[in-house]
Amino acid sequence: MVISEDTRAAIDSECAKYPQKRGGLLPAMHLVQKQLGHIAPETAVELAEIFDIRPVEVMEVLTFYNMFFSAPRGRHNVYVCTNLPCALRGSRTLLAQIESHLGIAAGETTEDGRISLGHEECLGACAYAPMLRVDETYHENLDLEKANQILDGLE
Amino acid sequence: MPTITVDGVQYEVEEGRTILQALDDLGLLMNGVDVPHYCWHPKLSIDGSCRLCQVEVEGMPKLQIACDTRVSDGMVIHTTTDRVKSAREGVMELLLVNHPLDCPICDQAGECKLQDYAYEYGALQARTVEPRRALKKKVDLGPTIVFDQERCILCRRCTRFCSEIPATGELGIFARGDHSVIETFPGMELDNPYSMNVADICPVGALTTKDFRFKIRVWFLEDVPGICTGCSNGCNIFLGVANNKVQRYVPRRNDSVNDTWICDAGRMSYQEIDSPSRVKASLVRGEDGVLEARPYAAAVEAAAARLRRLVESKGPGVIAGVASAHLTNEDLAVLKRFLEALPTESAGLPVPRGEADALLVKEEKAANAAGARALGFEDAAPLVERIRGGGVDGIVMLGHDLLDPAYLGGIEALQKLDTVIWIDTHQSDLRHVAHVVLPGRHAAEKRGTLTNHAGRVQHLQPAVEPTFEAHAEGETLERIGRALGLTGFGGDPAAGSPTASSRK
Repeated sequence: MVISEDTRAAIDSECAKYPQKRGGLLPAMHLVQKQLGHIAPETAVELAEIFDIRPVEVMEVLTFYNMFFSAPRGRHNVYVCTNLPCALRGSRTLLAQIESHLGIAAGETTEDGRISLGHEECLGACAYAPMLRVDETYHENLDLEKANQILDGLE
Repeated sequence: MPTITVDGVQYEVEEGRTILQALDDLGLLMNGVDVPHYCWHPKLSIDGSCRLCQVEVEGMPKLQIACDTRVSDGMVIHTTTDRVKSAREGVMELLLVNHPLDCPICDQAGECKLQDYAYEYGALQARTVEPRRALKKKVDLGPTIVFDQERCILCRRCTRFCSEIPATGELGIFARGDHSVIETFPGMELDNPYSMNVADICPVGALTTKDFRFKIRVWFLEDVPGICTGCSNGCNIFLGVANNKVQRYVPRRNDSVNDTWICDAGRMSYQEIDSPSRVKASLVRGEDGVLEARPYAAAVEAAAARLRRLVESKGPGVIAGVASAHLTNEDLAVLKRFLEALPTESAGLPVPRGEADALLVKEEKAANAAGARALGFEDAAPLVERIRGGGVDGIVMLGHDLLDPAYLGGIEALQKLDTVIWIDTHQSDLRHVAHVVLPGRHAAEKRGTLTNHAGRVQHLQPAVEPTFEAHAEGETLERIGRALGLTGFGGDPAAGSPTASSRK
């Protein structure tokens, strides 16, 4: 078992909110990913047991959403918004510059396992474009210098 | 019962059915009323994902999908209007956006719904200039099925089949949008006793069976209706025949017997027809104790001569008949008549048994045990005792099921018999003890009827001719009976007999 007792308790209280138990699958997956960083196939089997569904059904949900990961990620997930308003404010150049600063392409993880980089669609912070997200924190009104500072500060 | 009007014709239909279900109940779907569809299947849950079955329903502003729109009294449906046609064209164009159009190398060509409907509703030219999605062409899904991701139109029939029919749920749709692909759980295989049905229900060439893949073009096949003989369920099938050879079995829909399914073991049992272990020659054991090939007629004479000698020396009562649950009612009726005419009361019916499941597979591994019992043949256990006790000197053996561990368990008890006449389709240890061996005909090679476990009598017709001289078992018994001069065995066995086996 890789799902911790705390996570399991949180899953159970989430499930209680839904008329059908399987309705709690999405929040449960968020909880598991928060604990483990990703949801490996073995973890999907555990989840399937909890929800009394087939493992392949968990995989269907897992692969449907971009924000669930089936393989280990870096310690921090960094996403640069490349949607239109951010793009108009130079986010694509910013992303390219961050790529060369970190030495990886979007979709890759740094060798030290510190940062996984990606681009993302609109996060609703258009007025503060360009922006990026580090895990669950928004960083706005960026330029390269600011962005590098933020990234270099990550553990 | 609600009345609906489809293309100007009124029908009474069952309450609560969807339009496609109602048309299917009436036997009209694709058989008078053409509503093309991919994702809908009569024996699976409704998905509503392919959008091809859209029809016009009066009073509803938009077109409705016929698979998931329930009928109501007075509903007026149009399936041939310009709106419907242009909707189908639109759906077909979208379905074909990423389709590889590799029909020349696709096994489904000729029985492909995408091909058929593209011909009927598709545009001649694609309007897209973008590259099509390039995916894996040959994914090994398990022991029986190969998957071509590019050809898949994501109708989800296969995923629904796996979760609803064998309830094994191996398949799922991974990823989203035009990244979607059918996959199994990492490291798992599509492996269940009904797995090959997914190739039948796949409307395109995405799922193909390893067995039939690249074997022969389907337009060379003649589909002969028949019955699977793997167990007493009697699943309805089509035997795909080309070059006088059965190339495959596919299920034939019969809602009272097998719906639209067949188990993998039954499907693969076509291999028994052209198997190297067929009994192909008439054999007679000579003075030196060695079996020699003889013309069929001479072997029949030899069988009759041995039986006559036994009847004259010890009386007919020492002769036993062994029925086979694989044979037709007509063959077995001749055996019954033969034993009554001898006369002898010694008879038995060995029935091979195995695993059963809740879906189709039955415990009795022969197609006509019920028919044999209805004709009065009783289980062979008492006969086995009589043979072991020395009460039998001669035996007319149809098939070799008496050697099953549940019965004789081997040939030992038969070695001391004076006469063993053995008529069979496939080789067995009986060749060591038989005095006369006569080839029989497989169910695919003869006319007749089989009675399934529920008492349903189903018809067989010859799909192929054996490449060697073999006659239906009943016909051979007729000839032996005639040679013996038995009452009621005077006619021409080939012409008049209900077991007459030739094809035309």
